[in-house]
Amino acid sequence: MSGATIFIVEDELIEAEDIRQTLEKLGYHVSGICRSGESALRTVTKTRPDLILMDIHLAGTMDGIDTAEQIHTLYTIPVIFLTAHADEASLERAKVTEPYGYVLKPFDERELYSSIEMALYKHRMEEQAREDTRTIRVLANAIPDAVMLLDADQQVIALNDAMSRRLNDSYPKMQREPAILFDHEGMFTSLESQVSSVLKSGIPVRFEEKRNNAWFEVSLHLVNGHEGQKKRVLVQYHDITDHKMFENQLKKEGITQIEQNMEQFQILNDQIRNPLQAIMGYVSLDCVHYRERIMDQIAVIDTLVDRLDRGWVESEKVRRFLLRHYRNRPDDPTDETSCRNPLEDA
Amino acid sequence: METILLVDDDPAIRELFAIYLEMGGFRPLTVAGGKECLDLLGQENPDLIILDMMMEPMDGWDTLRAVLDARLSRHPPILVLTGKPPVTDEILRYGGMIWDYIVKPVDVKQIVSSLAAIITRDHELQEAMTAAYSSGKDRSAVQEYARLLRLVTVARNLEARRRERPWTDTIQVNALKERLTALHTRLGFSDRLLESA
Repeated sequence: MSGATIFIVEDELIEAEDIRQTLEKLGYHVSGICRSGESALRTVTKTRPDLILMDIHLAGTMDGIDTAEQIHTLYTIPVIFLTAHADEASLERAKVTEPYGYVLKPFDERELYSSIEMALYKHRMEEQAREDTRTIRVLANAIPDAVMLLDADQQVIALNDAMSRRLNDSYPKMQREPAILFDHEGMFTSLESQVSSVLKSGIPVRFEEKRNNAWFEVSLHLVNGHEGQKKRVLVQYHDITDHKMFENQLKKEGITQIEQNMEQFQILNDQIRNPLQAIMGYVSLDCVHYRERIMDQIAVIDTLVDRLDRGWVESEKVRRFLLRHYRNRPDDPTDETSCRNPLEDA
Repeated sequence: METILLVDDDPAIRELFAIYLEMGGFRPLTVAGGKECLDLLGQENPDLIILDMMMEPMDGWDTLRAVLDARLSRHPPILVLTGKPPVTDEILRYGGMIWDYIVKPVDVKQIVSSLAAIITRDHELQEAMTAAYSSGKDRSAVQEYARLLRLVTVARNLEARRRERPWTDTIQVNALKERLTALHTRLGFSDRLLESA
């Protein structure tokens, strides 16, 4: 016994009373009875029953199908049709209102009961599904990353608000129905081949993309649907502009640090070599007796400084490599083309 | 008697070179930095400048450029004497402006004895350039020739000294030598100029 509240729309009063008694016997609470569609709409708005039993033939201008249709567009209240005759045309019309059941009169108590319980259960499940969808949407929209789900035909199956904004006004109906992803200002040029690669291999892909001074890390993951359902690819744009800027700054400062270290290195070597030069020169002038031994010692120190120099030359190569690697990017204003070897022109 | 100007911030080096230069029959002049060098060039006209690189606040390269840009009746040949081995970039950038690049410590006597030859070669080059200008030769070609001649000389000297320091940078001179020879033929210079290049 669910104790659900049920509303009855039936123009035959005796019939309605009969239904009420049956329902109460089955443990339901009957929240009201109406004879016409118009009054049913008014009452349902106020009482919000858990379910509506609707006769197709009603008093007034609207029949049960019209009324169910109106209710269906306004509320998510399940409707079960009750009718004495089920002609093809009525059934077709009734389908559109997505009814939860169709019970023929004279009804069997057990049949009515199982129809109501099935409808209530189905409705609960649908409510749950709707709630799940809402939750997913709230979660999807809560993340700042632009996310969308693409199928093998480059159709957008789903997307979050961030992605809608990213796609701008190009996809007005995007959230309702799948739309082909067309190349928006070259935005998806690099995406196309990546999507097919992910679909083929199943291996996630991650790459970086720069657009209008902003950097994005684009991740593609394969999403396996149910059996028989087409494979899909989840595309995520993660803004890494701040990270990139920090990284570039670090690179720049790193190079500056290397340059400073190397300058110190050069100064140090110069400071060692100057006294060596002086000693060597003066000894050669007039220190005949110890000249050779002093010169040997100078040679030893000189060899040591040479080793430092060697390190310096290696560092210079590293520095030049770093400069080429980090600064000589075509879009980088700090491009140091002066590093180019002029001999290449020869 | 030829005047040699030494620019070095180390007084011991200045004194040492002054002694050797005098012994070698030169008139030595010494200054401690680039600024002093430029000031002195207003009054003195040295036949050669020996230039240290590691100096403050105006380093050797700044001084070199300033000397070459200075309004002088004649630009003296320049020889770099430094505690820091050159790197390829420096050779390519400055090799065409100087006649030699020597890393300390060196046998000063030997260096002093090589100065006369540098002065002579520079004289010959200057004369050839002046003659080429007055006969209406292409100015830029003449200047490029002078630059290449010095650059090749510097590279050859560095190569010769690499026996002691095989890891030091140098540059490939073959392509440069070809361009130099081509210009030499075009400008019709005396073969003496190319002798030691």
